[in-house]
Amino acid sequence: MNWARMQDALVHRAPEALSVHLLMVVITIGIAVAIALPLGVILTRPRYKKLSMIVMNVMNLLQTVPGLAVIALVMPFLGLGLKPTIVALSVQGLLPIARNTIAGIYAVGPDVKEAALGMGMSHRQILYEVELPLAMPIILAGIRTSTVYVVSVGTLAAYIGGGGLGDLIVTGLAMFWTEFLLVGAGLGALLAIVLDRTLAYVEFRITPPGLGS
Amino acid sequence: MIELREVSKVYPGQSAPAVDNLSMTVEKGETCVLVGPSGCGKSTTLRMINRMIDTTAGTILIDGKDIRQSDPDKLRMDIGYVIQQIGLLPHRSVAENIAIVPRLHGWPKDRIKKRVDELLTLIGLDPEESRHKFPSQLSGGQMQRVGVARAMAVDPPIMLMDEPFGAVDPIARNHLQDEFLRLQKEMKKTICFVTHDINEAIKMGDRIAIFSAGQLVQYGTPQEILSKPTNDFVKDFIGLDRVVKILSLFHVKDVARRTICTAGESELPNVAGKMRDLGADTCFVLDNGGRAAGFITWEDIAKHGDSAASETMQQIVAGRKKAFVQELVLLRDALSLMLELDTEHLGVMDGNRITGAISLRDIRKHASKKEGE
Amino acid sequence: MEYIIYIQRNTELIMEYAQNHFALVLTAIIISLVLWVPVGVLITKNEKWASRVLNIANTIFCIPSLSLFAVMVTIPALGLGRRSALVALVLYAMMPLVRNVYQGVKGVDKSVIEAAKGMGMSSWRILWEIQLPLATPVIFAGFRITVVMTTGIAAIATYIGERNLGRLIAEGLTRFNVEMIIVGALFIAIIAIGLDSLLGYIEKRIVPRGLRTGRS
Ligand SMILES: Nc1ncnc2c1ncn2[C@@H]1O[C@H](COP(=O)(O)OP(=O)(O)OP(=O)(O)O)[C@@H](O)[C@H]1O
Ligand SMILES: [Mg+2]
Repeated sequence: MNWARMQDALVHRAPEALSVHLLMVVITIGIAVAIALPLGVILTRPRYKKLSMIVMNVMNLLQTVPGLAVIALVMPFLGLGLKPTIVALSVQGLLPIARNTIAGIYAVGPDVKEAALGMGMSHRQILYEVELPLAMPIILAGIRTSTVYVVSVGTLAAYIGGGGLGDLIVTGLAMFWTEFLLVGAGLGALLAIVLDRTLAYVEFRITPPGLGS
Repeated sequence: MIELREVSKVYPGQSAPAVDNLSMTVEKGETCVLVGPSGCGKSTTLRMINRMIDTTAGTILIDGKDIRQSDPDKLRMDIGYVIQQIGLLPHRSVAENIAIVPRLHGWPKDRIKKRVDELLTLIGLDPEESRHKFPSQLSGGQMQRVGVARAMAVDPPIMLMDEPFGAVDPIARNHLQDEFLRLQKEMKKTICFVTHDINEAIKMGDRIAIFSAGQLVQYGTPQEILSKPTNDFVKDFIGLDRVVKILSLFHVKDVARRTICTAGESELPNVAGKMRDLGADTCFVLDNGGRAAGFITWEDIAKHGDSAASETMQQIVAGRKKAFVQELVLLRDALSLMLELDTEHLGVMDGNRITGAISLRDIRKHASKKEGE
Repeated sequence: MEYIIYIQRNTELIMEYAQNHFALVLTAIIISLVLWVPVGVLITKNEKWASRVLNIANTIFCIPSLSLFAVMVTIPALGLGRRSALVALVLYAMMPLVRNVYQGVKGVDKSVIEAAKGMGMSSWRILWEIQLPLATPVIFAGFRITVVMTTGIAAIATYIGERNLGRLIAEGLTRFNVEMIIVGALFIAIIAIGLDSLLGYIEKRIVPRGLRTGRS
C-alpha cells in the first residue's frame, strides 16, 4: 500500500469525483422520473391499453442491452463529456421507473376503482387520490432500482469522459494502483448503498399502513 | 371425547387472552357448536384442539389422552379439519385435494379413487365432471364443499369444522346441513362446529357453546340455551324471536293430538253425536274418494250449537281444505302456515294418512311449557 | 449493411468472444443456482437469518459492477481474469435468486399452509409438495432477471481481462467504431434474450397447471 498515492486519491481526487458522480445521478434520476412517470400514467389509461403492452415488451427488450453498450453508443452521436453521459443514463434509468409505474397502477384492484367511481369521483380524481397513492410504493421501488443502477453504470462514464468515481477506478485498473481502485470502488459502493437505504426508508414511510408486508 | 380443562391462549404481543380459562367437554358422538360474535376466540379454540397452536395454559384431552403426548402430525392426520378460509391446494385437482390425507395414510390407489368419487357424490358434485377441475375453476361454495369432503376423506372419528358452510348459498346450505345431520346420525362422529349463525347452531348442535370475548358464557343443549339464557348477552345473541326459535326444535308430531275421528260427507248432520261417542275433539270429513275434504272441531260445534245448519258445517269444512301439515314439519313452520291461512287449526298427516290435529293453543301451551322448563 | 460486412469480416473473432461470453455467463449461473436457491429455501425456516442474508444480498447488489470487479482484482487469490469475474457475477446473482426464492415460498397463501398442516403434513413435506411448486412463477422470475443481468454485467468483465463481447464495445469506444459497439451490444442482447426465452419455455412446462387454468 502506497500512502502517498492513497492520500492523493482520497484528498485530491475523491471529493470532486464523488460530487460529479452524485450530480450525475441526481440529474439523471430527475430527468428519468420527469419522463417515465407521465409516460407510465398515460399508458395505463384505458384507451392506450394495447399500446402499453407493446411498450412494456419493447422495454423488456431494451433491458437486455448492456449498460456499457448504451454508454458507448451515445459517444459517436453526442461526443464526449458529462452531457452525453446523462443522456445515456437517463435512457436506461427510465425503464425501471416506467415499468413499475405501469405495473403499480395496474395492480390497483378493479373493485377499488369501481368503488371510487361509484362514490362519484372523476377519472382525474381517481388517478390522484386512488391510483397514484396506492401505486406509489411500487413506483418508488422502481426509482430505487433505477438509482442503484445509474450509480453503477455511472462508473462507466469515465470511458466517455463523463468523470465521476469511474475515473479513479479506470486509472487504478490502467496503472494497477490498488489505492485508486479501492477508493473509487469503495466510494461508489458507499454512494449506492446510502442512496438505496435512503430511498428504502422513504418507501417505507410513504407506504400507507395496511399495505405492503 | 374432547375435554378442555382451564385452557387459555394469549397470542404473543397481546395482553388480553383470546381464550380465557375455558373448560368444557364434548361427549363422544356429539356435535358441539361454538357460536359467538367475530373475534371471540372460536377459531382459536378449535386450533388448539389439533395443536395448530399451543395452549398458553391448561390441558386438552382427547379420549382421555393429553394431546401434548401425541406427535402433532399424527394427531392431525386423525382429526378432520375444515378451515375457515378453505385453503384448497391451487396446484392440485379436486380429486388430488381430497386424496391428501388418504395418501398420507398410505391407502392404495384404487381405494383412494373409490373414496374420492363417493365423497364427491356426497357433497353434490358430479365426480366425472369435477374430479379433474382445479380449485380456481370452482365457485366459492363448491370450494367449501370440497374442503368439507377433504376433511372427511379418511372418515376420522373427530372433526373440527370452522364455518364449513359460510360461503354456501342458503338453499345449498340447508341441503348440506340436512345431509350432514343425516350422515351424523349414522356415523356418530365427535364434532366441533364453529358458526356465526345461531339458527345453524340450533339446527346442527347436540350442544351449543356460546362465547363472548374469549369466555364460555353458556354451554348446554339448544333447548336449555333457548329456554334459559343465563344472561342478557345470550338473550341478545339469540334474538327477540327466542320463543319462535324454541318452536324450531320440535316437530308437529311431538305436539299433535291423536283424539280424532273420520266421517263421510253424508254423516255431517250427526257429526256432533259421533264425536261425543268416540271421545274425539276433531272430525275429519272425507269426500267420496276417501280423501280429506276438511274437518270440524269441537270448538265449532260448541260455537254453532249441536244442531247447526249443515250448510254452515259444510262451509267450515270446505274452508279447511288446505289446512293440513305433515308430521315432520317444524312447529315453527306449522305456526307460519296457520298465520298464512288465518286459521287456528291444522290437520296432521303422515304421507296420505290422517294422524291427528294441532291447534294454535297446543303450540302456545307447548312453547310456554318449554320456556318454563 | 456495414454491420453485416463487419460481422462477415470478423466472424472468427466474434465467435470466440461470444463463446467466451456464453461460457462465463453459463458457469456463473450454474454456480449461482446451486449456491443461492438452497440458501433461499433454507432462510424461509428462520426469520432472523432471512433478514440478515437478504440484507447482505441487497448490499452487494448495490455495489457498482465496475467497483466490484475492481475490488475482486485486488484480492490476491483472484487477480485479473476469469476467477474474479465469476466471483463477482455469482455475488450479484445472490440478490435476485435468494430474494425471489424466499419471497415465492413465503408468499404462498397462508390458508393453504394452514389446511395442509391441519391435515398432518410435515413442514418439509409442505415445503416440497406445496410451497415450492406454488412458488415456481416467482422463482422463475428470479432466474430470468438473473440471466439477463448476468449477461449484461459480464460485458464489463472485459476491463479486468476477459476476452468476451464486452471487448467489442470497449474497443469500439476507443477506436470510435460504431459498428463494433452495435455488433457487440447486439450479440449480448441475443444471448440474453435467448437464455431468457429458454427459461420462459421451461417455466411454461413446469408451472403447475392449476395456477394457469381458470380465472385470472
Ligand atoms: N395469529 C394471531 N395472532 C394474534 N392475534 C390473533 C391471531 N389469531 C387470532 N387473534 C386474535 O384472537 C382473537 C380471537 O380470534 P379468533 O380467530 O379465534 O376469532 P373467531 O371467534 O374465530 O372470529 P371469527 O368469527 O371472525 O372467525 C381475536 O381478537 C384476534 O384478533
Ligand atoms: Mg374464526
